[in-house]
Amino acid sequence: MEKYFDATYILQSIPMLLPFLKVTFMVACLSILFGTIIGFILAAAKLGKSKIARNLANGYITILRCTPSIVLLFLVYYGIPAIGNNLGMNLNDIDKAVFVIVTFSLQFGALMCEVIRSAYESIDKGQFEAAVSVGLSNIQAYGRIIFPQAFVVALPNFGNSLLALLQEGALAYTIGLIDIVGKANLIIASNYNAHALEIFLALSIIYWVISIAIEHFFLKLERAFSKGKQSLKAL
Amino acid sequence: MSEGLDYKFLIDTFFVALSGVPIALAITIVALMVALPLGFILALSRINRFLVLHRFAQIYVSFVRGTPIIVQIFIVYSSIPLLLDSIVTKYNFEMNVYDVNPIWYAFIVFSFNTTAILIEVFRSALNTVSKGQLEAAQSVGLTNVQAFRRIIIPQTLVVALPNICTVTVNLIKATSLGYALSLQEITLRAKVAANVGYNYVEAYIDIFLVYLILCSLVEYIFKLYEKRLIKYKAVNA
Repeated sequence: MEKYFDATYILQSIPMLLPFLKVTFMVACLSILFGTIIGFILAAAKLGKSKIARNLANGYITILRCTPSIVLLFLVYYGIPAIGNNLGMNLNDIDKAVFVIVTFSLQFGALMCEVIRSAYESIDKGQFEAAVSVGLSNIQAYGRIIFPQAFVVALPNFGNSLLALLQEGALAYTIGLIDIVGKANLIIASNYNAHALEIFLALSIIYWVISIAIEHFFLKLERAFSKGKQSLKAL
Repeated sequence: MSEGLDYKFLIDTFFVALSGVPIALAITIVALMVALPLGFILALSRINRFLVLHRFAQIYVSFVRGTPIIVQIFIVYSSIPLLLDSIVTKYNFEMNVYDVNPIWYAFIVFSFNTTAILIEVFRSALNTVSKGQLEAAQSVGLTNVQAFRRIIIPQTLVVALPNICTVTVNLIKATSLGYALSLQEITLRAKVAANVGYNYVEAYIDIFLVYLILCSLVEYIFKLYEKRLIKYKAVNA
């Protein structure tokens, strides 16, 4: 009789899964790029003077925070082609990765808005005033004084959001994108559903290693950037 | 498909989706009831560096935070029947392991997941309560249990509450993954209703609305509770 659990399957399936990491990373990187842009726009709206813009940004964040990513994913997947249909466009043939990127950009934007806002607000207003008073222009003050400081504050939260995005991204397989999770499901299906556990364990190991690597990378980055930071203790 | 939304279906399915709310809430409540005490104890073990337990908690938290919840669901869903099966055949129980209600798997996965996240929440909250509080409580003659119940836990809870709210909302959102366990909750019910006429857009709008209402309500309740707890907040903050 065949064994129920066979650890060799874990080792065998890891090399089969790794090439598909490329798809996962590609989707994640593009989502981070677009999501950060959305986050900046939202943060600007939230910190700006216009009341309408602020309410819109708040509403957007509340809605996105209350929507499960899988629901948002399917809403985008079925909704965008339906809207396109009504406008006379045929959007049924575009790549599935596009829908995934749209979904996770929207979601990452809401996360990033809060990260950017809290980092910006943590910088004392006097910093900007001091920069302007020594003769820097507005752009210089932001570019040289405010941004570098806010960046360091935002770094840990950015890292956490990135990990969250990577894990939510695992849901992309539900609309048929063949990323690492999709491939794992394909392998299981081709094995007639045998040894599913081993392949899922291999999948979890891959994710675990990536997460730990990202976490360490951000810790290192944080340490490198906060070198020049002066806390109150130094006084 | 191009004739726009089917409003009758939209309204009918809204109530179908709404009928899945009790299951989503049941999972959330059970998971929180298991995870709150367990997370608190493990957080204490992390802070006090309690022998093996704190290493175990560290690895456990790292695993849960490092892997997607859907993968955790897959692992539990494919490993527990195997375990049960070997136990059943060993001791000759009269039981069919493949007939277990999927809600039990959901309880296990979500409790497992939430405990790990709450360990981190409680750990950071416990760190904000100064050690002098415990010493002061002991010096006026309270026992350890009394000191924790009356002094430490209320203060920890105030700090942890906003994070617990986030965890709860995330948990409710995560129950939408119950479809992978073929659990009859909000998402699956509406999806099955949509299968008949391919009205997926309407079904997902309904699911979206149900989650939006549910999560906003939970956030509102937490806000109210936070106001009540504020009296425990340290004055010098």
